[in-house]
Amino acid sequence: MKINVKQMIAHIFLGVLTIVLLFPIIFAIANSFKTLEEATNHIWRFIPLNPTIKNYIHVFETLPFGRITWNTFLIAFTVTIFKSLTSIIAAYAFVFFDFKGKRLLYFTLISTMFIPFTVTMIPNYITVSALGLNDSIWGVALPQLADALGIFLLRQSMRTIPKSFIEVAKIEKVGHLRILSDILVPLVKPAIISTGIIFFINSWNEYVWPVLILKSKENYTLSLALQMFISAEGGTDFTVAMAVSVITMIVPLVLYLIFQRYIINTFALSGIKG
Amino acid sequence: MKKIVFDQVCKSYEKKQVVKDLNMKIKAGERLILLGPSGCGKSTTLRMIAGLEDITSGDLYMGGRRVNDVESGNRNVSMVFQNYALYPHMTVRQNIEYALKVNKYPEKEIVERINEAVRMLDLVGLEDRKPRELSGGQRQRVALARAIVKRADYFLLDEPLSNLDAQLRAHARKELVRIHEQYHQTMIYVTHDQTEAMTVGQKIALMDKGKLQAFDTPKNIYHKPANVFTAKFIGSPPMNVIEATYDDEKLFIDGKKMRVPSAWRKVIRKQGKVYFGIRPEDVRLRKKENAKEYSLKAVIRYVEDYGDKYGVYFQINSTEMLAVCEGEVPMPGESVYFEPNFDKVHFFDGESTENLGYPKEE
Amino acid sequence: MKKIKEDLFALLFILPSLTAFCFFMFWPLIRTVYLSFFDWNMIKPVKKFVGLQNYITLLQDDVTYKVLGNTILYILILLVVNFVLPYIVSFLLSFVIRKGKSFYKTAFFLPSVISLVVGSILYVWILNPVTGPVAMILRFFDMQLPIWSKSEGLVIWILSLITSWKVFGYNFIIVLGGVMGVSQEVIEAAKLDHIPNYKIFMQIVLPMSSSTGVYVLITTIVQGLQYVFTPIKVVTQGGPNYASSNLIYQSYHEAFTLYKTGEASAFSVMTMALFILLLVLEFKFVEKGVYYEN
Repeated sequence: MKINVKQMIAHIFLGVLTIVLLFPIIFAIANSFKTLEEATNHIWRFIPLNPTIKNYIHVFETLPFGRITWNTFLIAFTVTIFKSLTSIIAAYAFVFFDFKGKRLLYFTLISTMFIPFTVTMIPNYITVSALGLNDSIWGVALPQLADALGIFLLRQSMRTIPKSFIEVAKIEKVGHLRILSDILVPLVKPAIISTGIIFFINSWNEYVWPVLILKSKENYTLSLALQMFISAEGGTDFTVAMAVSVITMIVPLVLYLIFQRYIINTFALSGIKG
Repeated sequence: MKKIVFDQVCKSYEKKQVVKDLNMKIKAGERLILLGPSGCGKSTTLRMIAGLEDITSGDLYMGGRRVNDVESGNRNVSMVFQNYALYPHMTVRQNIEYALKVNKYPEKEIVERINEAVRMLDLVGLEDRKPRELSGGQRQRVALARAIVKRADYFLLDEPLSNLDAQLRAHARKELVRIHEQYHQTMIYVTHDQTEAMTVGQKIALMDKGKLQAFDTPKNIYHKPANVFTAKFIGSPPMNVIEATYDDEKLFIDGKKMRVPSAWRKVIRKQGKVYFGIRPEDVRLRKKENAKEYSLKAVIRYVEDYGDKYGVYFQINSTEMLAVCEGEVPMPGESVYFEPNFDKVHFFDGESTENLGYPKEE
Repeated sequence: MKKIKEDLFALLFILPSLTAFCFFMFWPLIRTVYLSFFDWNMIKPVKKFVGLQNYITLLQDDVTYKVLGNTILYILILLVVNFVLPYIVSFLLSFVIRKGKSFYKTAFFLPSVISLVVGSILYVWILNPVTGPVAMILRFFDMQLPIWSKSEGLVIWILSLITSWKVFGYNFIIVLGGVMGVSQEVIEAAKLDHIPNYKIFMQIVLPMSSSTGVYVLITTIVQGLQYVFTPIKVVTQGGPNYASSNLIYQSYHEAFTLYKTGEASAFSVMTMALFILLLVLEFKFVEKGVYYEN
């Protein structure tokens, strides 16, 4: 019986933690479908009595939200494609090639994970402006064509592929690009999918860099639009703010719930260093 | 012209030397076994032939051409890996045909070759399975099939049977020999298993610590081992090799002396330290003294029952040896007389450990 | 020849990443150091060389020390919630409970995929001192939620918690991966010796997964401080009176609110120096006591 008590306490603790972590999400969804009046008077009610999509309609009326969502998607998509490609080939080189200075080069690239963005933001701002990409979504995407975390995670995953898979292909005169596309990519597909999803989600959620680059509303991304509904006091359009929040988080949430197994497994590997 | 020549080949990683001054000539169409304990450099040697490892110094010739700088894909080799390296996301057929397709062989030819390989290796009906749906033996055969459809001049195998259980292994050995007899590639086969080496090989290259220890036919390697290492490595249970002193026509083993027949005296000649070797099955232990001068008194320490035979551990003073006997079993503690069969003993130099040779047959 | 060809291929594959990093990481890094010696506002055509003046100005400014103190408080809170807590939860998941493991994993990671701007906006409402649900509960117990966004000290706690909402799940998954990566045989051997679970965890699992620990520790500090930027920016803008600003936010503030490019650069350089110090400490750790599986 002693074991059961222990387990029960553990479950209670974990359950409370789950509620704390998930509450904001449920809170946002619930209130985004309430009228402002119902939300103000019954903030604890999770299933609205008179569900309404007025808040969502309002969002799309006041801001070019279709355009903003498209911008966010376009940046995230571009960034994901580029980061995935550059990371896959770099990881391949780091795992299956031997050359002088490999370790040094690898650690140099990986160390960029530890460079705070404030160190690069001023020169990058100057560069992007000089290229005429200020207030352009391409200016947001440009500095994000490669990713150290991506190289790191894909390298971790490729290291589990036996070297003989590559060697047997080399002996059979299969070129590197064919090896990559026919053998390696299918074998590390879960890791490629999850890093891709992570690139996408991170770009979708990105705030700091777009806030510097994007000025006009029609170039905004979701995070920037969302910012207009916030102030320390909360502002007045509570239910509309919740609707915008839901719109912003729904894409990452759905992607996560579909691919969660891949994503969790890929991250679980990332701390086991090698 | 499918021979392979190693000329002073060395291989080192950073500071560690794994293959040292390798000189070896492998004849075209020969089945050569690279044998040795793990870490002896045999796999590295094979991988140098495959072009998967760079050669640090020396030259490697294949078919008369220096191949140090030739890429794997241009060496006309095929290879079977220890883990088989079958692509898990491809079916048996896709695995076998993949390289042919990439290299743009005519469709008709691909089909022909695959059908032949599939029939030959008894894989009919399994073509559309994925590797994980196959048994260990089937996977091994798929790996073989993939290697033979290329019809390469050189057929390399890196411990291809080590993941199979004993019964399958015996069968697979025969199959390998059969394949080789059909295609007559130059076959290089790496193993640490001496039974495989003896049964498959036409020649054996025995390596230890990066050096070639012996290079000969299985028969010679067994009966006339080139040095102490070879003597001890080949044969199971291993040969007894003990330090002894040769002096004045007598052999001193741990303080006890024994006469050496005259034929051997011409061979040994040099006085002083020698290694005396005798295989356990060539040892005779007698209860009663027979020929006093040619035997030594010994004490039985321990007896192992092999079923049909006995392994008898005995000591001459503190030097332990093993005899494999049939018939009457001695008891531990019993005193016996150790009598080597001098037709089947070996003497090695005390310094270089090289074989001193054998008496001329009369 | 053959070797050179292989090397060229390797370089070719790394080149895209390397180029991107050179243009948008390494070169800016150098340039920021360079800019830290100038007086400039990003617009003026001439930069005025001032030597170490920017650094001296910052080191003489009380705000710098306040921000540094805030940063340390942020680090401590983030570490407790996102380093210690993940270990406790991983222990419960791997040693205590038997059911519901994958549910908890999914649930805990969920907030990690959501934008911190969303997190900030949600918590601003949830923790609204007048109309928020938390304030209502407190009122029920006759307590009052202070106007935290205006309270020095408390504001750092709240902003850290908002950040942790996102960071916790991510760190937890990594820690759990490390903990689960410890060989089951070792653990079973210990169990056969009747060693209590918490001791197995403390004395076997923790040391054997210490490389994961170091990794999470460092990323919590380095990434955590950058994540906090978002709630600071959207909720308080560093206020009240710099009470919620940290090193990261402060350099942003200097650069893009006050347009003091030189001082902002100097601030970033000092932040970077602090991070490098932490990394050096990590590598010292790594070389020494850390246990690696292979």
